[in-house]
Amino acid sequence: MAKMHEFLLRFKALFAKRRMDREMAEELDFHQAMLREKLLRQGVPEASVEGATRRVFGNPVRWHERLRELWQFRTLENLRRDVYFSIRLLRRSPGFTAVALLTLVLGVGANTAIFSLINGLLLRPLPVPHAEDLAVLGMIQGSPTPRYSFPAPFFRSLERRHEVFSDAFAFEQNTFQVRGNSNNENINGQYVSGQFFRALQTPALLGRTLTTEDDVAGGNPAGLAVVISEHFWRSWFGGASDVLGRKLQIDNTMLTVAGVMPKSFIGANPLQLSEIFVPLSAEPILEGAHSMTAAGHHGWWLTVMGRLQPGVTVEQANAALLPMSMPILHEAVPEAAWIARAEKQHFRFTAEPGSKGFTYIRFTFRKPLMAVFAMCGGVLLLACLNLASLLMARGAARERELATRLAMGATRIRLIQRLLMESLLIALIGTMIGLAAAPFVSRALATMLMSGGGARAVHLDTSLDFRVFAFAALAAVVAAVLIGLLPALQATSRNLHDHIKDGQHATQAHERRRVLPKAMMAAEVGLALMLAVGAGLLSTSLVRLYRTDIGFDPKGLVNIALKTDKQALDGEALLGLYKQYGETLSHQPGVRSVSFARTVPLSNMEWDGDYKVAGGSTHNSHVNSVAPAYFQTMRIPLLEGRDYSWTDTLTTGRKIILNQTAAKLYFPGRNAIGQNILSDPDNKSYEVIGVVGDAKYDDLRTPAPPTGYLPITQNEVKGKPSYTAVVRVDGPAGPLAGAARSIAAQMAPDIPAPVMRTMESVIDASISSERVMALLSVFFAGCALLVTGIGLYGTLAYATARRTSEIGIRMALGARRAQVVRMVFRENSIVAVAGSALGLVAAVLASRALASFLYSTSARDPWVMVVAVAAVVVIASAASLLPALRAARIEPMAAIRHE
Amino acid sequence: MIREDKNDNGQLIQGTVEMLVLKALARGPMHGYGVAEWIEQTSQQVLRVEEGALYPALHRLELRGLLSANWGASDNNRRAKFYRLTAEGKKRLDTESSRWARLSAAVAFVMQAS
Repeated sequence: MAKMHEFLLRFKALFAKRRMDREMAEELDFHQAMLREKLLRQGVPEASVEGATRRVFGNPVRWHERLRELWQFRTLENLRRDVYFSIRLLRRSPGFTAVALLTLVLGVGANTAIFSLINGLLLRPLPVPHAEDLAVLGMIQGSPTPRYSFPAPFFRSLERRHEVFSDAFAFEQNTFQVRGNSNNENINGQYVSGQFFRALQTPALLGRTLTTEDDVAGGNPAGLAVVISEHFWRSWFGGASDVLGRKLQIDNTMLTVAGVMPKSFIGANPLQLSEIFVPLSAEPILEGAHSMTAAGHHGWWLTVMGRLQPGVTVEQANAALLPMSMPILHEAVPEAAWIARAEKQHFRFTAEPGSKGFTYIRFTFRKPLMAVFAMCGGVLLLACLNLASLLMARGAARERELATRLAMGATRIRLIQRLLMESLLIALIGTMIGLAAAPFVSRALATMLMSGGGARAVHLDTSLDFRVFAFAALAAVVAAVLIGLLPALQATSRNLHDHIKDGQHATQAHERRRVLPKAMMAAEVGLALMLAVGAGLLSTSLVRLYRTDIGFDPKGLVNIALKTDKQALDGEALLGLYKQYGETLSHQPGVRSVSFARTVPLSNMEWDGDYKVAGGSTHNSHVNSVAPAYFQTMRIPLLEGRDYSWTDTLTTGRKIILNQTAAKLYFPGRNAIGQNILSDPDNKSYEVIGVVGDAKYDDLRTPAPPTGYLPITQNEVKGKPSYTAVVRVDGPAGPLAGAARSIAAQMAPDIPAPVMRTMESVIDASISSERVMALLSVFFAGCALLVTGIGLYGTLAYATARRTSEIGIRMALGARRAQVVRMVFRENSIVAVAGSALGLVAAVLASRALASFLYSTSARDPWVMVVAVAAVVVIASAASLLPALRAARIEPMAAIRHE
Repeated sequence: MIREDKNDNGQLIQGTVEMLVLKALARGPMHGYGVAEWIEQTSQQVLRVEEGALYPALHRLELRGLLSANWGASDNNRRAKFYRLTAEGKKRLDTESSRWARLSAAVAFVMQAS
């Protein structure tokens, strides 16, 4: 109790120092005055009153000091003093402070930025109540990797069962065409099933959410309802208070706005921002002939999740799904042969933890992000090693000061506290700046990484939450300890006498003690080399990716995506529209050639089909549907036969153009022209009229698959087609966008405004993760080399400065300047060589981890290793040169006198 | 006589001063000078508390919550810091004085033995 009181009073005294001082002085003055009066009363002569008082009272200053001491808050006082002195010390060597802060900002900031990306993509749970009770459903058939895209009947069958899940829901992203003022606009949204909102337990901001009554087959007889996002409500309806009950024309169907979701609600896919939520049962109505629901068990498209029954774990759910799998299939699939095949392949449903929702993008970016994170960690480690070495070197320069302090009674712990405070200060300031910069960096990175989505807006929430803060704090503490403890321990460890005696003279003991900092610098060099090798490998791989033969010429190629699936024209009339559009476009300035295609290479559009030759086996081929002059526009060489023309209609017989791989596949060893190929299973016969060169389809890495090109004049796919115009332009493509839009507005005013992308940007987007990884690795390697160079320079500079008198003596005894330079240089060269050797070995071992990212580049590419080592050597040499030259300029006499 | 630099006799000496101070203030609030004067006079000029021991003792007692302090006017209208016993202080005074009584009785027994 007394202690508590003491503590409180001392604490209060901290803030009232001056007042306390004044009061103490006043108290003592009062006593002195009273004493003086008493002496006077006792008859002491006035002249000697002062002397008598002082004799009796003693030295007031000393009592004041003692009183002050009583009230002191010992630990806090020490802390304050440490901080104050540390700041002063740091300000006296601004160069060192700047370098230290910079390396830390880089290390901690970069790591935090990357971590918040990882957090947003991989770690953050959905912002719904009890997200840990959510599970993602998958299917295993044949291969051990589950598939996550469900056919509608499977889901409907699952939806009915409630033993395992209290709610099961499905959703799928879709770009809807919503009628605006003059034409349709592309709006991002999702189809959601009836239990979607109930499972996610988020109430609507206005109105209601969709329920199972909205999700009945054929649509709710009372009318189709749609729920919109807060953002859509504000931007489309201007935040109108009467939005409930207003109508939206979506894909040529009227839906009524039934509710508005708050902007905190993001659905179950954390990377998508949906503006509208449409009932799943409305999909057949909205999509018409393109409906995936209508495709039954052939259409794999829905993501399915469920909320577990209370008390049921994910593992239990997973186990419970096994006996349910076949009964569900029997319910959902009418084709007995299909069911038999699935049974043979041990088809089953699976459940996985789903607290973070589900998105395919995770699969693409998990490994690149982790690789970048590892690189970041390397840079942080390097920064810490660098700072620790510099601090050790600086500590060595201060050892006389420290020894003197030790001799005067400071405890080793106090000294360590003081030194630790310096590094803690650097760590704190560096971390704070790094933390401040991190959100900008991570947002920029997210934009770069995710731009591969194309039309689909990807939204990555990289905002700082407690996890990121915790991480940054941890990084800062680790950094501070690494940087501070070791140098502090070392600087205060040596024998007192040696400290004071040695001064500037180098002795044997010095050399021995300097092994640790040298080892650290060597480790740093090794790390830098590893990062350089990684950067070299990734950038080489990227360059090779860009140089790979795509099969067509992307320079000057532009794609204009038109969506005509919801407008009025069809069949011949629609074809005529496209033909006219193409012709008008071809007369625009700069346009060399125009054609159309159904799928655009490298943009995640895939269309494949099974084909066979009569009497031969069936092979799967990629398919595209193209207009005349496609190959000429794309600059794909026409090897044999001829291209399509507008007169190649169905009446003239079905035709197909194969690429070289397909021709070799179906007609090995013979001429494919004039042969016939059959589609499987409907056995339609296509005459091969041409063979073209191979072109990449899915992505740059996969070699060109066998591809068949059908003519758009013979389109047999159900529903109104949408084609992308492929245009070759001379010069800048910008003005073409405006022309494309205005022509479309004139000819087909209903359709959404066409979206233009250059082929080069499509290619860039398809390899965005590789690009970002290469960019970042080069950046990190550059920083690592720079920091290592500065570290090498710094440590050598300190070491040389301390050996000034030794160098002076050597020179006085006849050593030539060149010898001195060589001697100083040699110090660092051992470190550099040892570090490089270590780093090379480590790089060879570690680069195996990068192997899966590399394209046609071996993880042990010798050229990359050579260049990396050369870079390190150059940096080390440059860093060592300056101190060496400065050492050579030392005047012997001045040096010897200098202590 | 009671000098602060003989602190190596330790707690006993310090404790005795504090006990005397507590006793002095049992009669009512007083400033430091008053406490010293009262002790000197009541002990018939035998015990003179040095300023160097007095004020640290007063401040220590204040820190520990046995005394509370206010600033007020002295008899001749000078500003002075007045100390007063708290409830805790009164309790401590009682315990200390009974301890001292037992101690001095014990010493007396020993010294009277032949």
